[in-house]
Amino acid sequence: MPPKPRPSEAVAKPPTVLASTVVIAETASLTGTFPIKIGANTVIHPRAKLASAHGPITIGEHCIICERTQICPPDAEGLIIGDGVVVEVNSVVEGSVVGAGSVVEVGLNCKLGPLTKVLEGEVVEDNTVIFGSGQRRIDASGTADARRRLLERHIESLRVLIPSNPSKFIN
Amino acid sequence: MPPKQTKGEYIETDTGNKVSRKSVILGSQNIILGGKTIIQADCTIRGDLRRTVAPSQQSGNVAIAVGRYCFLSRSSVLRPPGRTHQKPVPTYVSPRPPVVQGADQPLLCRTFSYCPMKIGDHVFVGEGSVVEAALIGSYVHIAKDCVIGKFAIIKDCVRIEEGTVIAPNTVIPSFSLVSGRPGVVTDELPETAQEGLECRLPNYLIYNIIYMIAGVQTLTIGVVKNIYRMI
Repeated sequence: MPPKPRPSEAVAKPPTVLASTVVIAETASLTGTFPIKIGANTVIHPRAKLASAHGPITIGEHCIICERTQICPPDAEGLIIGDGVVVEVNSVVEGSVVGAGSVVEVGLNCKLGPLTKVLEGEVVEDNTVIFGSGQRRIDASGTADARRRLLERHIESLRVLIPSNPSKFIN
Repeated sequence: MPPKQTKGEYIETDTGNKVSRKSVILGSQNIILGGKTIIQADCTIRGDLRRTVAPSQQSGNVAIAVGRYCFLSRSSVLRPPGRTHQKPVPTYVSPRPPVVQGADQPLLCRTFSYCPMKIGDHVFVGEGSVVEAALIGSYVHIAKDCVIGKFAIIKDCVRIEEGTVIAPNTVIPSFSLVSGRPGVVTDELPETAQEGLECRLPNYLIYNIIYMIAGVQTLTIGVVKNIYRMI
């Protein structure tokens, strides 16, 4: 008996632009009607949800989008995630612009700790670290380059571990 | 045609693990469940994030080892921690990995690799908690919405309160009560804490059930064994 079609497959696929070196797991979900663009060397873990029902999604190069994350742009202006961004497990991203090297408008090289929240319309400056119950500080250690190198190694190892199936998402 | 098998929500394995059909288990060949462990719906276990450097002789390719009588609640996530390793460049690897040579460092290669995660017996993980610890001892209760950072080590008999965020690389000693963001030890647990943290029915209840059933049917060794298997 053939397996029953899953309801998620009945939903129309969004127009996607995937770079050739993207690692995208088969069980990631890309839904919606607006286009989704994913840059080179980005890793999308299984069960990550990218929903472009309300606006386009653009993800830069060298990003890691972990499982159980939800990326949903709030309006038609869309959501842009810069280069080298790691979106960790269980995160919800509904902001508009996320700067390069960081994890609402978030500046460059920011780090948001676990379970922290950024309110609507808030602008987080470059190099900010948000931690604990909403405390903030500016990271002046200048380790952005080192972190970027670590991230690239991380992506190299994930390339081995996560079976990629971009053809499922191209239409 | 054979009769249609009734499909329950849980699949039971030979060792008594109950795994929800709606759970997300990736890389199941790298996961060890000790037995009597319950995995609820929507629970994510990342067994696919295994070591990428040469595995050691003992652990092989195991990514996550869970002990007996563990309970993983809905929407919890277990994922092994990862870091960049520094170790001498093996001569047999070809092509050679990226090499970093500092002024005072020997020839090192730095590669990112995940490390196996070990969880003891009687560990409860609450709803929506994310666990990236390296080691969790036995009799550990993690309440809901907690985040256990990468490479954290939690020893035996620890209670972690709701919404706690444990920073990466933290070591939590035995018999502690942990809460807050970042999670700190706020109190000590009494020496009797182990009984309260057990995820199995306490022995006196098991005896009660045995006596209850014994009232209805004759108690043979087989019946007692069956009861123990059920519990």
